[in-house]
Amino acid sequence: LSHGSGGVETSEIVEKLFLRRLPEGLKKVAGGLGLDFPDDAAAIPMADGRYLVVTVDAYTVNPPFFPGGDIGMLAASGSINDVLMLGGRPLAMLDSIIAEEGLPYETLDRVVKSFLSVLEAEGVALIGGDFKVMPKGQLDKIVITTVGIGVADRIIVDKPRHGDKIVVSDFVGDHGAVILMLQMGDVDKPEQLQLKSDVKPLTKLMVPLVEKYGEYIHAARDPTRGGLAMVLNDWAKAGGGVIVVEEESLPVRPEVASYAGMLGIDPLYLASEGAAVLAVDPAVAEEVVKFMRGLGFQNARVVGEFREARQHRGYVLLKTVAGGLRILEPPRGDIVPRIC
Amino acid sequence: MPKAYLIHISGIVQGVGFRPYVKILADRLGLGGYVKNLGGGEVEIYVEGERSGEFLDALLNGRPKAIYIEEVKAVEVEPRGARAFVIEKSSEEVQTPSMIPPDLAICEDCLREVLGGGGRRGRYPFNSCSFCGPRFSVIRRLPYDRENTSWSAFPMCEECAREYSSAEVGGVRRFFYQGISCRNDGPRLTLLDSAGRPVEAEDPISEAARLVEEGRIVAVKGVGGFHIFALASDDGVVAELRRRKRRPSQPFAVMALDLETAGRLVVVDGAAAELLTSPRRPVVLLPKRDGSPASPLVSPGLDREGVFLPYTALHYLLLSEIRDRFAIATSGNIHGEPMCTDRRCVLRLGVADYVLDHDLEIVHRVDDSVVRFTAGRPVLLRRGRGYAPVWVKMPLRLGRAAVAFGADLQTAGAVGVGDKAVLTQYIGDLDSFRALEDLDRELRWLAQAYRAEAPALVCDLNPAYSSHRLCREWAGELNAEVYTVQHHHAHALAAAADVGVAEPFLAVAIDGVGLGEDGAAWGGEVLYVEGPRYERVRHLTYVPMPGGDLAAVRPARMALAYLFKHFGEDWGLVERLKLAGRLPGGLAEAQIAAREIKSPRIYTSSVGRFLDAVAAALGVAWERTYEGEPAIRLEAAASGGRLLQLDAEDQVELFGRLVELYLRGADVKDLAYTAQYKLGQILGKWACETAERKGVRHIVVGGGVAVNDYIIAGLESVCGRAALPSKTPPGDGGIALGQLYYLAHLGI
Ligand SMILES: [Fe+3]
Ligand SMILES: [Mg+2]
Ligand SMILES: [Zn+2]
Ligand SMILES: [Zn+2]
Repeated sequence: LSHGSGGVETSEIVEKLFLRRLPEGLKKVAGGLGLDFPDDAAAIPMADGRYLVVTVDAYTVNPPFFPGGDIGMLAASGSINDVLMLGGRPLAMLDSIIAEEGLPYETLDRVVKSFLSVLEAEGVALIGGDFKVMPKGQLDKIVITTVGIGVADRIIVDKPRHGDKIVVSDFVGDHGAVILMLQMGDVDKPEQLQLKSDVKPLTKLMVPLVEKYGEYIHAARDPTRGGLAMVLNDWAKAGGGVIVVEEESLPVRPEVASYAGMLGIDPLYLASEGAAVLAVDPAVAEEVVKFMRGLGFQNARVVGEFREARQHRGYVLLKTVAGGLRILEPPRGDIVPRIC
Repeated sequence: MPKAYLIHISGIVQGVGFRPYVKILADRLGLGGYVKNLGGGEVEIYVEGERSGEFLDALLNGRPKAIYIEEVKAVEVEPRGARAFVIEKSSEEVQTPSMIPPDLAICEDCLREVLGGGGRRGRYPFNSCSFCGPRFSVIRRLPYDRENTSWSAFPMCEECAREYSSAEVGGVRRFFYQGISCRNDGPRLTLLDSAGRPVEAEDPISEAARLVEEGRIVAVKGVGGFHIFALASDDGVVAELRRRKRRPSQPFAVMALDLETAGRLVVVDGAAAELLTSPRRPVVLLPKRDGSPASPLVSPGLDREGVFLPYTALHYLLLSEIRDRFAIATSGNIHGEPMCTDRRCVLRLGVADYVLDHDLEIVHRVDDSVVRFTAGRPVLLRRGRGYAPVWVKMPLRLGRAAVAFGADLQTAGAVGVGDKAVLTQYIGDLDSFRALEDLDRELRWLAQAYRAEAPALVCDLNPAYSSHRLCREWAGELNAEVYTVQHHHAHALAAAADVGVAEPFLAVAIDGVGLGEDGAAWGGEVLYVEGPRYERVRHLTYVPMPGGDLAAVRPARMALAYLFKHFGEDWGLVERLKLAGRLPGGLAEAQIAAREIKSPRIYTSSVGRFLDAVAAALGVAWERTYEGEPAIRLEAAASGGRLLQLDAEDQVELFGRLVELYLRGADVKDLAYTAQYKLGQILGKWACETAERKGVRHIVVGGGVAVNDYIIAGLESVCGRAALPSKTPPGDGGIALGQLYYLAHLGI
């Protein structure tokens, strides 16, 4: 099961099942971006020099309704954000819903309504879809697959450069903490939660940001599965360097930190569904943060830096308050004991 | 008729004045012959003459302590008519490099020169000779020649140069001594304030001593890194040091001027005295003396104090001017990070009010070694200064060179060549990136020094270990194959290699945690080991480990796991044992843990986690601010305890019985004693039953918990004497030896 959890195991299985079998020329459309590079979405070059940005994701979440949102909202926002994080402006979406036999009609109705309301608010057209029912027990309530489509003048291929500042738009781990809490049964009624998921589309942040500072943004990602730890580890590897993060500066809500602490989970591994991580040219990093705050993202901040390295490339290091340098491991799906 | 002998000696015979010593002895006995270096830590001596029969005895018995001899072979041969005795130049084609000498504590002769007052070496803080002083910590590259060490920054004065180049002038102690120096040409001391500004002082040492006496905290650069000095007798000072170091309860080491002073703090018997005064000069954990003048805050909750004697002239001079004649000398580091070796690092720490710095560069960081006694035998807890990088001979040879990456916490790596396992010095915890860099650097350095070309690589099975990741990095770089070894299999093999067992054996591998082949957290294992294979014959009963690693950090979680395993989910018992209050998250956390205990994500058979559970349930310790704290405190709590009569098949039942007795008001010290002793008996019973069934003679004990007095006593009460490692730490600091030994068994 750990192979689907987004950690080291997922990349291992994708590598084995797909990447090794596919000839290089078929991993992307010439001049674009595809399976050859791990990023949020794919890109196909168009005749006018712009890019068509496409992404697909299947969403399943237990429970389907949670404080702050539901699976419908998640499916719409998730693919919109993936288009955005490649530098695209989301235009259209396709969906495929599979429901478990016996799922109450009202549930489906609520989910679809909330799915459509996101599209409406964002001005994203729903240009196709599919709906199926599968026998009871063959899936967990509902799975929504969405294809997000957008257009980009310039795509952001995640390759941080030496000196880039790592900017985070908001608190991280809220969504992951809420879902975990519900799944673990650590709250009786969702209303008791002091926390809610941060699920939301990031159009209002990313479109103006890319318009104004696009050329200075060398990487952009929403820290979903595997959380911030996953994004930073991917980037350290992709850039062939080291990322150093100041522990103090990391935006984690105290409620998230304390709950995750009780589970023995580092909040940096918990998913966000409405936050962006950027690698920004140091010359404009402070300006970018200011700009983001001006767009209503009050918690935006610089948390660290990417550095080229000759040795130990791919490490993410957490600078502790006391001055230590801890290694932030890439997420794993299964727990492996390490402390003696 | 003159006789002649051909003698081969191996050990630390390079860089410790061995050849001049041999020549001077041969001259005194009027013998002819030669001494020459064969490489690989071996020296050949040929002597002939009337008194050649006395030579070997005199050589061995009169030798300075610094010359450590591993093996001696002497045969009588036909005399060849040699008149004079010469030091033959070692041939260029010496194949295996010699043993890199470890750092040696100042010898008595050098100390006498310093304290004697006059001359070029009176009060000279860096005085050393062929038989003492820094070695490994100052070596940049081999061979060990002055220009390849930190001493190269200090050109010799004329007088030193004369001593260096003439046996008559320099004598055995200074002739050809690479680190020769004196007041006129040696390193200089500087006293700085906490901002790094120089402090004017006529004598920086006297001033530093005065400051310590005043209650200030002073960082002092030693041989392998910085120590933090502070008064050990003043509660306020110790508390302040704890606050600044963010180290609430981990014990501090105390440096005492001499044996007599040490004897006021701890009980020093003959074996302890020998260790304390040896050139290795480790910190030795010894029973605290009633009425010790040391503050109880130095090692809160423990029945032992870590004490060591000064190992340089600088430390002698400093301590002799502090009224107490003893002081805290703890390593200057950020908690969990490597010790500082330069001024910049120590100033950044922000711990010390003053810094006593000098300009002899530290090339290799070397921490103080730590030794304790377990069941009356000295065992290493930390193998650093004085021990590393002395090699360990394995009973089997490696066919090709190999590099072992060790474990992850309190760890060390190793380079293997032939039958020699060269362990790095203690590296520390690899969740610190700087420690990982150190491991990488030291392994590269040793691999080069011992010409380990195209090595095979070996690391722990656990993919989450930083050492495992580093091993994979090397594999990518060198295009080398990687072998992995299960953690406890490596512990078993390390113990066997250390004590010299090559045939099939039985191992009791007990520690905190290691990843098992089945994904569980092992740590209470009885293994039958034959060649490169092992059979997991018995293990402690699996118990849920709620929160994974979090259960190690918060021992009350393990207490809950044990409690529910034995009594079912009984919240009344949780309340009576006050367990919820012993979790940082209180009842809410206990409930979260309880839910996880019902559907566990991971199980453990670890002895460490059992001891944690007992410590938390008995209210002995429920915090872990340093590695092994609950278990260490539980051991201390058992002091003076006696064995309670109870029957238990396994450790879960044992835990249940102990809780029942505790709630009926039994004495905590008896309960603590019984928990450990009885556990040892359970393990012992499994071990010797299997040994008998398999027809195996050797039983070895390895793993971090193998240093526990009561567990070993319990085990040996059933099994008879078991073998404990003595050259390497039984814990993860020795695991790289087992990894190399595994390759040797594989035939690699
Ligand atoms: Fe271990
Ligand atoms: Mg991106
Ligand atoms: Zn000396
Ligand atoms: Zn001199």
